[in-house]
This record gives sequence, C-alpha cells and structure tokens, in this order.
Amino acid sequence: MKSVMPDMQPMNQTVQETPVFEVLSEDQIEQIYFSALEVLERVGSRVHHDDALELFRNSGDAVVGDDKRVRVTTSLVERALKNYPRKITLKGRNGIRSVALQKDHVYFGTGSDLPFTYDRKTGERRRTTYKDIVDAGRIVDYLPNFDFFMSHGIVGDAPNPLTYDRHQFMAMLEGCTKPYVVTSVDGEGLEDLWKMACLFQGGEDEFRLNPMFVAYIEPISPLTNDRTAVEKLLFAAEKGIPAMYTPCPSSGATAPATIAGMLVQSLAETLLAIALCHLKRPGMPLIMGGVTTVMDMRTTTYSYGAPEMALASAANTDISKWLNLIMFSTGGCSDAKVLDEQAAIESTISNLTAFLSGANLVHDVGYIDSGVNASLESLVMNDEIIAMVRQVGKGIKTDEAHLALKVIDEVGPGGEFVTHDHTYEHWKEWFMPKLMDRSDWETWNAEGAKTMLDRVNEETQRILDTHEPAPIDDTIKKELKKIIDDADKRHSK
Amino acid sequence: MAVDLGQMAELLIAGKVDEVEKMTGQAIEEGMDPSDILQKGLIAGMDVVGQRFKACDMFIPEVLRSAKAMGAGMKQLRPMLVASGAKMAGTMVIGTVKGDLHDIGKNLVGMMFEGAGFQVVNLGIDLESQVFVDAVKEHKPELLGMSALLTTTMPKMGEVINALKEAGIRDQVKVMVGGAPVTEEFAKEIGADIYGANAASSVDKAKAVLNA
Ligand code: B12
Repeated sequence: MKSVMPDMQPMNQTVQETPVFEVLSEDQIEQIYFSALEVLERVGSRVHHDDALELFRNSGDAVVGDDKRVRVTTSLVERALKNYPRKITLKGRNGIRSVALQKDHVYFGTGSDLPFTYDRKTGERRRTTYKDIVDAGRIVDYLPNFDFFMSHGIVGDAPNPLTYDRHQFMAMLEGCTKPYVVTSVDGEGLEDLWKMACLFQGGEDEFRLNPMFVAYIEPISPLTNDRTAVEKLLFAAEKGIPAMYTPCPSSGATAPATIAGMLVQSLAETLLAIALCHLKRPGMPLIMGGVTTVMDMRTTTYSYGAPEMALASAANTDISKWLNLIMFSTGGCSDAKVLDEQAAIESTISNLTAFLSGANLVHDVGYIDSGVNASLESLVMNDEIIAMVRQVGKGIKTDEAHLALKVIDEVGPGGEFVTHDHTYEHWKEWFMPKLMDRSDWETWNAEGAKTMLDRVNEETQRILDTHEPAPIDDTIKKELKKIIDDADKRHSK
Repeated sequence: MAVDLGQMAELLIAGKVDEVEKMTGQAIEEGMDPSDILQKGLIAGMDVVGQRFKACDMFIPEVLRSAKAMGAGMKQLRPMLVASGAKMAGTMVIGTVKGDLHDIGKNLVGMMFEGAGFQVVNLGIDLESQVFVDAVKEHKPELLGMSALLTTTMPKMGEVINALKEAGIRDQVKVMVGGAPVTEEFAKEIGADIYGANAASSVDKAKAVLNA
C-alpha cells in the first residue's frame, strides 16, 4: 500500500539545525561590558609605550597619569568598536582561502612555544627543537580537523633568542601549508615574519586582503601593557596585519576569583587595545582573545584543563559576538603530564564547549602539562575528538528526506532498513571513527588488543612516515633565508 | 592581661593579618621574649599551616594569607631578634631575569618564603644582571631567587651567577632558580644551588640547604 505524503514544508517556524549554546544572557553581557567600561574610566590600564601614550594624550578622549595609567572614555571605545571587520579570510601558503573568520565559523589549531617534547624514540622528555616543529606542522597539515597552525613547540636550538621567531616561522612554513597564528619576539620580529609571508602572497596588499597569518599578542594581566606587546600591536595596526590581543588572566591570582570578575577585567584589557588600535589606524583587523582560567589552589598551576576555562572561554565568545568581534579561544588542552585519560577528558570538554559556543579560532589544541609539554600524539587524538565534536555541532535536519516518513511507511512494522536506498544514501552523514574502536572483543583481541593510545601512536607514526607537505619554491626559499640571515646578522654582537 | 601566644597561632592559621600584627605589637610592649613570640606564636601557627597544606586541608589562598600574617608579625619582631642575636630565617632577594615579564610565579614564591619567616625583597621583573648583583651587595641575603619562564631567558640566570662570581660575592649567597622551562639539570649546569619546582616545595628545599 503506497500512500501520498503530506506537505512537509513548515510555515512560520524557526528551523534549528544546529545546537544552540550560550552561557551568558544579553543582560549579563551588558553588565559585564558596562563594568569593563567602568574599569577603563576609573582604574585604567598601564601602557609602557611612549608612542601609544602620545596617541592617547592627543586623542582628547583619554587621561594619561604619571604612572602611565591610561583611562579612556566610553565614547572612544564605542566609536572604535564600530570599526572592526566582522570577517577576515585567511589564506594558506598553498593558496587556499580555507579559514573564513566570521560569526559562528569554528576553526581549530595548535598552540605555540612548548619548551619540552617527549622524544618518540626514547620516551624521554627533552627540549623542543626545529625539527619537532616541522614534524608538528606535517601532522597538522595532514589532519583534516586542524585548520590553522601555531608552532606547537619552541625552536630551542635557534642560534639567538632575539631572532628565534624567524627560525620558528621557517619551520612552520616547511611543515605546514595551512594558515598560521604566529608569536614573535618584538615589533621587528613581527615585521620580518610579515615580510616572509608577503613573499608567498605577492605583496602587502594581497596580504591585507587574504592574510596568511594572525599575530598573537598579549597584555599582562592585570591591566598592564608592556612595550614589546604594544610595539607589535601598533605595527600590526599600521600594516593591516590581523592580530589578537589575548589576555591570559588566572582567576584568583592575576584576576578576581570570580569568573564574572575575570571577564570584566579581561574585557577591559581588550577594550584598551580596541581604543588604541583605533587611534593608530581605524578598522585594522583586530581579534578578541582570552585564555581565561583559574590558578589551581593546591599547586599554583595555571590550569589548561579546568572546566572553568571552558566556561569562561564560552562566555568570552558570547561577549565577542555581541560586540561583533572575531574570537580567538582555547580548547583541546590539558594539565596531564602525559597523553592519558585525563588528557582525553579535559581536551574533550574544552573542544566541545568552544565549538558549541561558536569561537572562531580555537587554539592550544594538543597542549599537555599545562602548556609546557608538546605531544604529536595529542594532536592526532584531538583530531578524532574534534571530528566527533563537529558531528554534534551538525545538529539534526528535519526536512522531508530526513524525517523519513516515506521510508518508515515502506519498511513498515517488522522490516529492516539496512538495505534500503534511504540508508545507502544517508548513513554517510554519520561520524566515521578512525581511532575509536567499536569492534567486538574477539576481533579486538585478534587484532592485537590495542588501546586508544596504541592506535594513536601508530597513526602518528604513519603520518610522519608518509605525509610530506607541498614543498616551498626554491626562489622563495632563498629570499626567506635572506630575511632570516639578515636578522641574525643584525642581532649578532 | 598577658598576650596568649596560642591564640596568636590560631589567628595566624585563620589568616587574620591585622589581628596577628596587633597582637605581636602588644606582646612586644608587654616585654615578652621576642624568641618566644616567634616560636610559640608565629612559627607554631605556620607549622600547622604547613602540615594542613600538605594534607590538603588548607589551600594556597589560605596559606598565603597566613604567610602575610607571619610577615606582618615578623616585620615588628625582626629588629629585636637581630638585636638579641636570636636564630631566625634570613633574607631572600627574588626577581625575574632580563627579557622576561612573568611575574606572578615569583611573587607567590616570595610570599611563601615570607611565611617561612624570611625577609623578602622582591626586585620585580625584566631585571639586568647588575640589579641582582647590587641587591646581593646591599641586602646581604642568604638566598637569591631567580625566575625565568621562557626558554629564551633561562640563560640569563647563568649570566647572573657569573656576574656574582665576577663581583666576588658568589659564595655569600645560595642561588635558587625556578620557572616552567627550568629543570634540576639546568640548575646544576649553570651552577645554581637549588632548583624549586613550585612555591611550596622550594621552601623545604631551601631550608634543607641553608641548615646543612
Ligand atoms: C600567564 C602566562 C603569561 C602571562 C604572564 C602574566 C603575569 N602576570 O605573570 C603573559 C600573558 C604576560 C605571558 C607572556 C608571554 N608568554 Co607566557 N605564559 C603564561 C602561562 C600560561 C602561565 C604562567 C603562570 O602564571 N603560571 C602560574 C604561576 C603561579 O606559576 P609559575 O609562573 O610557573 O611559577 C611557579 C613555579 O614555576 C615556581 N617558580 C617560578 N619562578 C620561580 C623562582 C624561584 C626562585 C623558585 C624557587 C621557584 C619558581 O614556583 C612558582 C609558584 O609555584 C605559561 C604556561 C605555564 N604553564 O607556565 C606561559 C608561558 C611561560 N609563556 C610562554 C610564552 C612563549 C610567552 C610569550 C613569549 C608569548 C609571546 N610570544 O608573546 C610572552 C613573553 C613575554 C615576556 N617577554 O616575558 C611560554 C614559554 C615557552 C618557552 N618555551 O619559552 C609558556 C610556557 C606557554 C607556552 N607554551 O607558550 N605569559
């Protein structure tokens, strides 16, 4: 018996195809925002940079104290806020415009500068090297759920601490073709990295249109802006380089012990940069940031696995959307000393929360040991976590084909769906595990009784053995080397 | 009425900074033996704090409040203890090396040492080697603490140690280092005396070396 289907087009309905996740109401966001403005009017923020102080002094909208404290009018902040771009599209060195930073588009990537690495051969913890960063780059280049690359580790074997950032960026370029987030020593370092990137993009204007990287810059919580950070910020503003100014407060130590208090303070820190960049060059692509967490009160550790980090980060993302700013957030990281169950649990919670909140650049994925230890295996494990998280984020479609009334009708009571056309068509919408094991006990044993960690290790090795990123053109390589050599020469005593 | 040192210890454990400060003043006025005030009041309290912290019955905000109370008491007692030649914890100078702006870790270390009865001179962050050398000359500390949170600034700690040698004052002070990328091994390499992984454990380590 074949019946005619009723009309499935809904009228006057909100069709929600993805989960909706918010941790702050609009009223709460306003409370936090007005409090942050109050902090800027009353407490101010210290700025250790003469040109920046001059910009504030000449603005007619700020008071600069003898102690370099800058207090800013709401008028300036609100004029500034209207001028930031709501969309930035990043282009990798492979020429692909793969990261479109705009509301509710979520991208995942690594963190940077980890001092230590577990050696894959010896299992010993040792200092991170140039080669480790190339390897991390290759892994990220390969893994489908990573969209951007921060260095993961630090080049501990660079010849000079004052130019390590150029070598680090070179290692990143070698290993990975996806867009980057870069850390730099100072303004001059950022300038060199930008020149290196422009070589791939055919000049400054092209870089400005579709930048290859975002510059990572931080204030010092509470309410302090050091010379090098401001120097980088002003350079980024001048050249139109996208940059985030990302407060890293620890609740209870460098910020109030309440999450709301920490959000107020870090928003005030962000708004100061919003005002300053506006005075330098209105409309520069500034991104809101925040690694907002608690200090563990037993160990003093700055926690990368605390649920409060996930929650505060989601709150910041809510605020960023309300302010129409792009958001740089945190996830996929852990306080565990090695890649273990703790790392998996903590990574999952922060990845899921960051994704559901709609943060745009989720960084620090793969960090273990509270931002001190690098782990390529953690990157591989997180790729699977993110795949699952993205699946949750896809939500549920309720159109005619997905409600499947016709199929239910055709199969009827007591039938089977496995061989139905509808199944053949739709089961591929599911998450397909790469590392998660769903076999039976017998098979699992016969295949070597491998744990998740065994499988993660094998996959890591397989990628390292097989994946090579597209090479860098020889002429560009020469020019890159020249920029790095010149920097080394300038800084050799 | 005589000041009750047992009660002073309790107030210290409870982190009552002002009260401990006031009580120490009263005890001094009453002419109590400064060593007694120190041992039976302040240190008796801090000993309990230390034990409770290790047993996870007290946590950092509580411990550092007690440490602050200890510091407030010591500030008044110290001159009298010095005059009487009594044995007490000495002076610690601490700072973050050149090029490094990480602040909070070394501040917590300083507070913890204050809790252990040390007089703590916190020099700040981003400091030239000469600042450390001058501070050692000026304050004649038992301990010099240096903090570095960056791979790139760690070597500065070795440079400070060399500068102390050049100034001929290396053996006047025990040098203690710490910070995320620093290890026991690195501390040895640069010729430091003590490596401290965190604020709490570094106090025990330093005491062991100083009392040896
Ligand atoms: C918060 C933070 C910041 C804040 C600091 C704010 C402040 N008020 O201090 C800000 C945002 C300013 C910052 C800046 C930078 N940071 Co930072 N930062 C951190 C972070 C996340 C936590 C540090 C912290 O506060 N921990 C909590 C405190 C309480 O612990 P602690 O500092 O470790 O101190 C304890 C122990 O180490 C020990 N200890 C410390 N010092 C001493 C000294 C003595 C004598 C003893 C006995 C013990 C001891 O006892 C302390 C108390 O228990 C760490 C990651 C980490 N896990 O360490 C990165 C980290 C240290 N930073 C890092 C980097 C790269 C930077 C930047 C270079 C980034 C950039 N490119 O701009 C800048 C450098 C600025 C500069 N020139 O210094 C890297 C260092 C990597 C490396 N290999 O060198 C780390 C490891 C993170 C990472 N993987 O990227 N950072």
